[in-house]
Amino acid sequence: MAKNKLDWHTGEQNNGRAPLSLENVHVSYATRRGKVRAIRGVTLDLHAGESLALIGESGSGKSTLGLAIVRLLPETAETSPGVITYRRDGREVDVLRLKPNEMREFRWSECAMVFQAALNAFNPVLKVWAQALDTAKAHGWHDKDAIRRRLVELLEFVQLDPKRVIDSYPHELSGGMRQRVLLALSLLLNPQILILDEPTTALDIITQRTIIKLLRELKEEQHFTMIFISHDLAIAAELADRVATMYAGRVVELGASDDIFYRPRHPYTLGLIRAVPTVTGGFEQLFSIPGSPPDLVELPSGCKFHPRCAFATDRCKQEEPELEEVGPGHTAACWHWREVEAELQRNPLHRGALNVLDVIEIDEEVVS
Amino acid sequence: MNMIRDILNWLGTTLKLMTYNKAGFIGFLATCTILVICLIGPFFIPLDTRTKLDKIYQPPSTEHWFGTDHQGRDIFSQIVHGGKDVIYVAAVAAFLSTFIAVTFGTLSAFAGGAVDGFIMGLTDIILTIPQFPLLAVLAAFIKLDNLTFLGLFLGLLSWPALLRAVRSQALSLKERDFVEAARALDLGAGHIIFRELVPNMMTYIVISFTLALTAAVYTQVGLVLLGLVPVSSSNWGVMISLAWTQGAIFFRDAMWRIMMPILAIALFQLSVITMTRSLELAFNPRLRTMV
Amino acid sequence: MSTSTTVPESLSAAPTVTGSSWTRRIIQNFYVRRIAKAVFTIWVVSTIIFFLIRLLPGNPVEQYIARLIETQGMDYENARMQAAALFAIDLDAPMWKQYIDYLGNLMRGNLGVSITSPGTTVTSIIARFLPWTLFSVGTGLILSFTLGILLGLMMAYRREGLLDHTLTIFASVVSSVPNYLIGILLVVWLGVQWKVLPIAQMRGTMSPGVTPAFTFAFLYDALFHAFLPITTYVLTTVGTWMLSMKGSTVGTLGEDFVTVARARGLKDWRITTAYVGRNAALPLFTQLTIAIGFVVGGSFLIETIFQYQGIGYVLSAAIAQRDYPVMQGVFLVITVSVILANLMADFLYGWLDPRIKVG
Repeated sequence: MAKNKLDWHTGEQNNGRAPLSLENVHVSYATRRGKVRAIRGVTLDLHAGESLALIGESGSGKSTLGLAIVRLLPETAETSPGVITYRRDGREVDVLRLKPNEMREFRWSECAMVFQAALNAFNPVLKVWAQALDTAKAHGWHDKDAIRRRLVELLEFVQLDPKRVIDSYPHELSGGMRQRVLLALSLLLNPQILILDEPTTALDIITQRTIIKLLRELKEEQHFTMIFISHDLAIAAELADRVATMYAGRVVELGASDDIFYRPRHPYTLGLIRAVPTVTGGFEQLFSIPGSPPDLVELPSGCKFHPRCAFATDRCKQEEPELEEVGPGHTAACWHWREVEAELQRNPLHRGALNVLDVIEIDEEVVS
Repeated sequence: MNMIRDILNWLGTTLKLMTYNKAGFIGFLATCTILVICLIGPFFIPLDTRTKLDKIYQPPSTEHWFGTDHQGRDIFSQIVHGGKDVIYVAAVAAFLSTFIAVTFGTLSAFAGGAVDGFIMGLTDIILTIPQFPLLAVLAAFIKLDNLTFLGLFLGLLSWPALLRAVRSQALSLKERDFVEAARALDLGAGHIIFRELVPNMMTYIVISFTLALTAAVYTQVGLVLLGLVPVSSSNWGVMISLAWTQGAIFFRDAMWRIMMPILAIALFQLSVITMTRSLELAFNPRLRTMV
Repeated sequence: MSTSTTVPESLSAAPTVTGSSWTRRIIQNFYVRRIAKAVFTIWVVSTIIFFLIRLLPGNPVEQYIARLIETQGMDYENARMQAAALFAIDLDAPMWKQYIDYLGNLMRGNLGVSITSPGTTVTSIIARFLPWTLFSVGTGLILSFTLGILLGLMMAYRREGLLDHTLTIFASVVSSVPNYLIGILLVVWLGVQWKVLPIAQMRGTMSPGVTPAFTFAFLYDALFHAFLPITTYVLTTVGTWMLSMKGSTVGTLGEDFVTVARARGLKDWRITTAYVGRNAALPLFTQLTIAIGFVVGGSFLIETIFQYQGIGYVLSAAIAQRDYPVMQGVFLVITVSVILANLMADFLYGWLDPRIKVG
């Protein structure tokens, strides 16, 4: 396999310190209706070589957080207070204080972001090669032969035929191919961190599988440092080492993947997991969280989840809980996490719930 | 009584929708003012035809608001009287070209196939022929001494761009759910066209009409300037044409005589084009239901 | 083209043309199809002209014959012969033969002889005056298109700013006032009232004593004389380009590929030009079709106003004197120029947008 020739980050340059740390990050938008508070104080460490999944409904702030890290939010967004610290080779920078040109250099070469709508991710009038060259040149890499060699290797890594793809226009490639080209392109400059915003949404299930396989390879064999943003819990369960559940602009639960999916302590996480349709389960197990995500302009008082929460009490209406330790390396922001634990002992989670991918594996054999 | 109330309601809603775009509403008010002055003004302000040699080329004053011309006649009265023919010819032309564009544009979109191919092919060809020279060349053969005939003549060739726009609008409407639903229910072509399509195309039709109106003013005055339309009445175009052929544009004192009709035409065009912004709002069925 | 959702994708790009025979490939070729369409349009227009000249009641041939009989006391036969010579038509031949001959003459460049200046062929008149119109109209169009695209881009980037508001008002005013009135206003204000331009010397296409040559002096003189027409073309069309470009740019700025380009760390200049600008400008090329016809058509009044001796000036003189062969020839040439200019715009568009050639 070509990947052996590739030079990857192993994530050990920072003496064990996290390559990316978010401290009390806030994002808000000024609108006519008032201030939209999209992110309200997120503190997170992204450890070297780990893959962290951000899960939550749309509007929970997970995509906003991804865009905030590379500072690609619309101009109306305000990112303060908060500090985003990036570390590489013993150096530290505050991403939010980088000057425009430094920020530009930071993007893609340090932290690449693969977007949701890869269908339109490419300039329709330039060939794949020209867009790769643009990317390399913008970061001071002008050796065309070397760029081409690297791109060929990466395209092989994502299982595309470089000869056909390199000189194609985006419209000549299918959606799945474009998504894989974008993935290859995101690795071009060997970034330390990869952010993937819904990397498989809008793709057919077989293509999804190809992409997930590639990402799993990046994770398991290259120990790539990644942030996944997904509303699809099955994919998060498949790919993440750690998971952060977001609700109304905050991290409400954070822990190792197994802890979150099998021992959730926040009612919202529990609701999300129970809402996943199981292939083997019947209709009686289908569950959905009542109500809808909160209005980010006029947030409820206290715990923002209380209007939709079965465990809510008067305290929840008044005080917003902070993240507290509920297990080793597992935190949750809920006054009643012990009751969630007790509830789980009464009604354990259906263990096959998140193994949708195994089902796909069977399907694939049927298809091919 | 009920009907009157309905009409008043409809007018109220329309006016309210039109004020949503300030520039458009100003354009609408200006268009109305110009129309009122040109259509009703002549009954109150007599046309000054008397030559007064002691009053040649006077600048604007309280007595002569727009100054006087080379024979000492009042320019303001000429402007007031010179609008209605221009507007009448333009309106006839706009009616005809909008009619052709809407009828055949919709037909083309809905019939599809060979009919669509033929109409669009013809439209493309006529669109590539520069319209103004074609009209000028034709005007050299045809006597254009009747205002209605002049209007029809102008309208007969100025529909291609409108037709293309109407067709693409109709094509997109064709795909919409409500038309699909009406077709599925087999409600008949008449129902689909007049109950579903025309109300939804009204914005388009009205805007097409106003744009055709300005286009017709453009060609009409252009033909007058070239001397291809016999000078029978005293209208804005003829005023400019006379000032120009008599060399008045090179005469410093003659400025008011040449500027006023130019301003009148420019203001009319600008008002009508700006008004379309408000019309877009007023005839949008979706906005109407929201009020 | 696109792969279905259930079958795993093949690793190669799908071929764009089904069927591999070369004839089919030529027929489906973008350029071939456009050229065929242009040739077809030229044929239709010449046919229309033939029937206008020959078949309409009161057509120019009959009118000319009647005029010769009336004014010069010629008998019908002689007048008919002279008319046939002028129009390069054999009036005794059957209609279909006349039509074939007419097309043959056109292809050989034989457009007949002028009535008002006997002995001068229409072709030679066109050869003499057309270059000036191509020069002034072409320069004006290119200038206003380029300027409109740049200003529109700036307006979109500085949306709701002072520049945007000022230029929007300017554009709406200037694009709603008829171009010949703008021309007259330029003469009245710049030439007569403020006297900043020597309009009397600017008339015509060249100053006396200057001969066409590849010299700086000649180019300067040509631009000096073409200054007013070019300014008018630019002023009256730039507004439309600006507003279209602004709208198109605002749309493009919201596209995902622009965000991705920023995420890729591309330099702002590169994003503005190759990613935003180029894509935003594409739809404007389709509008060139209408604009070219409009400007060329309007040039005919503009040239008359500024006494700029181009093809439009000749046409308006020919119309005034009812010089039918010249009218016919010049009109045909104007139409063909517009068709060719459109063809060029199409090719440019096809070259700039790789998606077009497929469809």
